Amino acid sequence: MTRRVKGIVGGVILVILALYPWLFGIYFTNVIVTCAIFALFAVSYNLLLGYTGLFSFGHAMFFGAGGYATALALTHIEGCPLLVALLFGFLGAVALALLLSPIVARLAHSAFAMLHLAFSMLLYTLALKLRGITGGEDGIGGFPIPPFRIPGVVSVDMTDPLNFYYFAMAVLCGSLWVAWFLTKTPFGQIIVSVRDNDKRVDYMGFKVPQTKAIIYTLSCGFAGIAGSIYAMFQNLISAAALGIAQSFAPIVMTMVGGVISFFGPIWGAVIFAVIEELTTRYTERVQLVEGLILIIVILFFPGGFIHIVAIVKGKLLGFTRGKGAGLIKGKWFGK
Amino acid sequence: MNILETKGLYHDFNRLEVLFDVNLKVKEGERHAIIGPNGAGKTTLFNVITGTYAPSRGAVFFKGEVVTGAKPHRMVRLGMGRSFQITSTFNRLTAFQNIRMGVLSRRGIRFNFFRKVDKMEDITRETDEILKRINLYGERNMPASALSYGKHRSLEISMALATDPDVVMLDEPTAGMSKDETRYAVELIRKLTEGKTAVIIEHDMDVVFSLADHITVLHLGTILASGPPDKIRKNKAVKDAYLGEMEG
Repeated sequence: MTRRVKGIVGGVILVILALYPWLFGIYFTNVIVTCAIFALFAVSYNLLLGYTGLFSFGHAMFFGAGGYATALALTHIEGCPLLVALLFGFLGAVALALLLSPIVARLAHSAFAMLHLAFSMLLYTLALKLRGITGGEDGIGGFPIPPFRIPGVVSVDMTDPLNFYYFAMAVLCGSLWVAWFLTKTPFGQIIVSVRDNDKRVDYMGFKVPQTKAIIYTLSCGFAGIAGSIYAMFQNLISAAALGIAQSFAPIVMTMVGGVISFFGPIWGAVIFAVIEELTTRYTERVQLVEGLILIIVILFFPGGFIHIVAIVKGKLLGFTRGKGAGLIKGKWFGK
Repeated sequence: MNILETKGLYHDFNRLEVLFDVNLKVKEGERHAIIGPNGAGKTTLFNVITGTYAPSRGAVFFKGEVVTGAKPHRMVRLGMGRSFQITSTFNRLTAFQNIRMGVLSRRGIRFNFFRKVDKMEDITRETDEILKRINLYGERNMPASALSYGKHRSLEISMALATDPDVVMLDEPTAGMSKDETRYAVELIRKLTEGKTAVIIEHDMDVVFSLADHITVLHLGTILASGPPDKIRKNKAVKDAYLGEMEG
């Protein structure tokens, strides 16, 4: 796609998102916000999996850390401004990542994955047991959502779902843009090189553990932002947000959307949102449908939705070059 | 002046001694070949020098500085490049991106979060120049894994050179190449290492004698002989241990 086409597509998406509440009503904004939260969560996960080649079973702990940090700030700090609460969410996840990174930055493959499973189980248990702080199984809820305020300029009530929709979408889309930009920088090149061949990265003059620690911390920070918005949106955060099911959400979305592309996980989040919305009309067994789709994707389209698009494009346009061709020929989990 | 030197270098893997009192001297600007039978410890010597692991005893000097046990990234920053016996590239990245990693490294662009790498025109220009020099410009946008074997090898060697090192360590650059590919690779190495110091592990004696200014023979983990090609060719101990064996 040329720059111009991309610009137009981006513009159209923005206009649709801006007009969305008026076109489809306030109920469906909930679907979109949830979808955008998971899109950011999944993209943050894919910065590790797709870009750096790090497979984690515990990414929800950063999502949860962000949610809890925001909820705690709003509960305990009198008059905590909205953006500060959001910052708390981001920093909560970053702090946890910084704590873990000296250990995990030297690991890869199954050790990395399993250690995250262990840490996330630990945090999940802590969230359940430390009732005084986390509220145990009930979680923390009913905290005040402050208005978005720039002193002397503007004060917008965030308990209005419409206002919150715009705030959440601005934060989430902004974060997605930052994450996307990150993958385009020289640092973005280094992380994909780490994924391909970490030893060689060392022999090209770059420090591998430090590189991994940085992308890890940033990825977790994005997950924290997603968790923070989630807590404010639901006005509730509970241990489920840290649980194993929550850790699998971004994995599954990334797989179904496509691990190779930045936009794959976003597609994954959209696909799951649509499936959930449609299937709940007929049955409560949403996960059954989701599981079936995952199986089909893994068996027939290991590159995910992006892979299907590439095949279709290839058939229609006959492409033999570029990313599409690579997608058709390539292997995604080789190592 | 010796740009690279090892003094009394020992290395063992779980007490299995692989390097035994190795005193290697590499002069600035020469092409130095390291030859020896399989298992002589050539690659281990490379690994110890370039920082894959620290020696169990002894010292490595690079540009007059003690660098014993320095990590690979540090050695690269000090001016040492390395290629591998088993082709080691970033397989899903394009040829261009592979070389660009070297250019970024040399310019010290590492943790840059504020500019798009594709928009850094000087980096792109420099990378393209290297690709043209090594005849890979036509394959610029192909993933490394899709290159033919010979081209893949040239890419790997050029990645080591893209950081513009003073000393380049090539571990069997022509391994697995056909005769034509080997001839081409030798010319490429000659061209690219012009004015640099090169240390080359090589099995192909034609390559060794056509490229090297100086040859060191490693045998059973220690240096059997070291000198100019003519002397090595005539050396009796070398003939017995290695060259003779090849001819016979």
